[in-house]
Amino acid sequence: MIAKDDFYTVQPKDVPPEMGEIRKLLATNELELDEQIEVFVVCRREGRLVACAGLDHYTIKCVAVAEDARGESLSLELGSEVIKLAAERGHFHLFLYTPSHNQQWFRGWGFHRLVEVPHFIVLMENSPIAIKQYCESLREQRPPGKKIAGIVLNANPFTLGHQYLVEKAAAECDWLHVFAVREDASLFSYPDRFALVESGVKHVANLTLHHGSDYIISRATFPGYFLKEKEIVDHSWAAIDLLLFRQYIAPALGITHRFVGTEPFDAVTNRYNADMKYWLQAASPTPPIEVVEVPRASVHGVPISASLVRRLLAQQDFSAIKELVPATTLQFLENKYSAHLSATR
Amino acid sequence: MKVIKESLAGTLESSDLLVKVAPSDKGSLDIAIQSEVIKQFGKQIERVVTDTLNKLSITEGSFVIEDKGALDCVIRARVQAAVLRATGSEDMDWRKLS
Repeated sequence: MIAKDDFYTVQPKDVPPEMGEIRKLLATNELELDEQIEVFVVCRREGRLVACAGLDHYTIKCVAVAEDARGESLSLELGSEVIKLAAERGHFHLFLYTPSHNQQWFRGWGFHRLVEVPHFIVLMENSPIAIKQYCESLREQRPPGKKIAGIVLNANPFTLGHQYLVEKAAAECDWLHVFAVREDASLFSYPDRFALVESGVKHVANLTLHHGSDYIISRATFPGYFLKEKEIVDHSWAAIDLLLFRQYIAPALGITHRFVGTEPFDAVTNRYNADMKYWLQAASPTPPIEVVEVPRASVHGVPISASLVRRLLAQQDFSAIKELVPATTLQFLENKYSAHLSATR
Repeated sequence: MKVIKESLAGTLESSDLLVKVAPSDKGSLDIAIQSEVIKQFGKQIERVVTDTLNKLSITEGSFVIEDKGALDCVIRARVQAAVLRATGSEDMDWRKLS
């Protein structure tokens, strides 16, 4: 008899009755439920939940098939369903997390390995060529020089602290590549953040400003980063993000040094800086990237941070903000966020 | 016709294939084929894909194909479907597809 399989989707936020079964299926496969998953594809067979695959925006996680339902290509149906679901939600370029020992399984889904944290986890993407094409596009912008620096900024929003870091790195190196984090998961939108970085670094001659990508501090490479405002510190997934930088991005652009500000306030970023030294300098046969930690610029003895600016903005304290951000950022904040101005409009 | 958006056609199941299309940033035509029978039929699959794209006058775009041992007619149908979705075509010249 051929078992009838019923595929359908459930959203954890609706607290569907399936969540208990999903948790159990994951647990028997040594997986934990990832709280960021927006939607699950599940398969029910004769009343029993036998397979699930979770989707967090454009990243597939928490995939499991019950042991007695394996060996009959149920996984390929599951893969088709979750890839189709992602497409319906507008995501075609997909990433996938799996424990190292299951990589081969996902090759059958059309996923290819990007980076691996040995004995722990592998990040894959559903293209054999996308990362190569991305690196080639970077390589075309590769400048001459020996000491090439890289900085990744979320710039939420761009402050004098960011500007100081950029100027310092540019002064110490032949060329500087600045990446703006593209993921739209911050208070300020990506186009706004990018524009503020652009105007804030315009005066630096030996610099290329790059648009961010799915490969640099994105929901795929570093899901925990975007949770920090909620004060949830997940496992540190920083290793994946840093290995991508070391193995693909840095070699494409010839980056030898990564500059970063010291982090006195933010636990996630602070941990990221510590992880950075390990994953960029040790831990891999790929040539190391030297991490240069620059003490934060301060005003009146208080280190400048974007989170401080956001707090002051919530209080509409523009005179305090003025001391922390370049004129271009101040103007933007006043135009767009001043309660007085918007009330009179 | 021009690929203007991402699209998907097909499945991962046996005797089928999954075709994923995306616009090309540089205006190049990139075709990446993975198949369980790449050693025996890789050349043939590639020929069917490029023929189908030629007939549809597709000269740029990124095509990623995960083949599960599909017959030529299935490959053609899936590639055509993916292209029609990716080009947002309403005014299709169906005679070209035969």
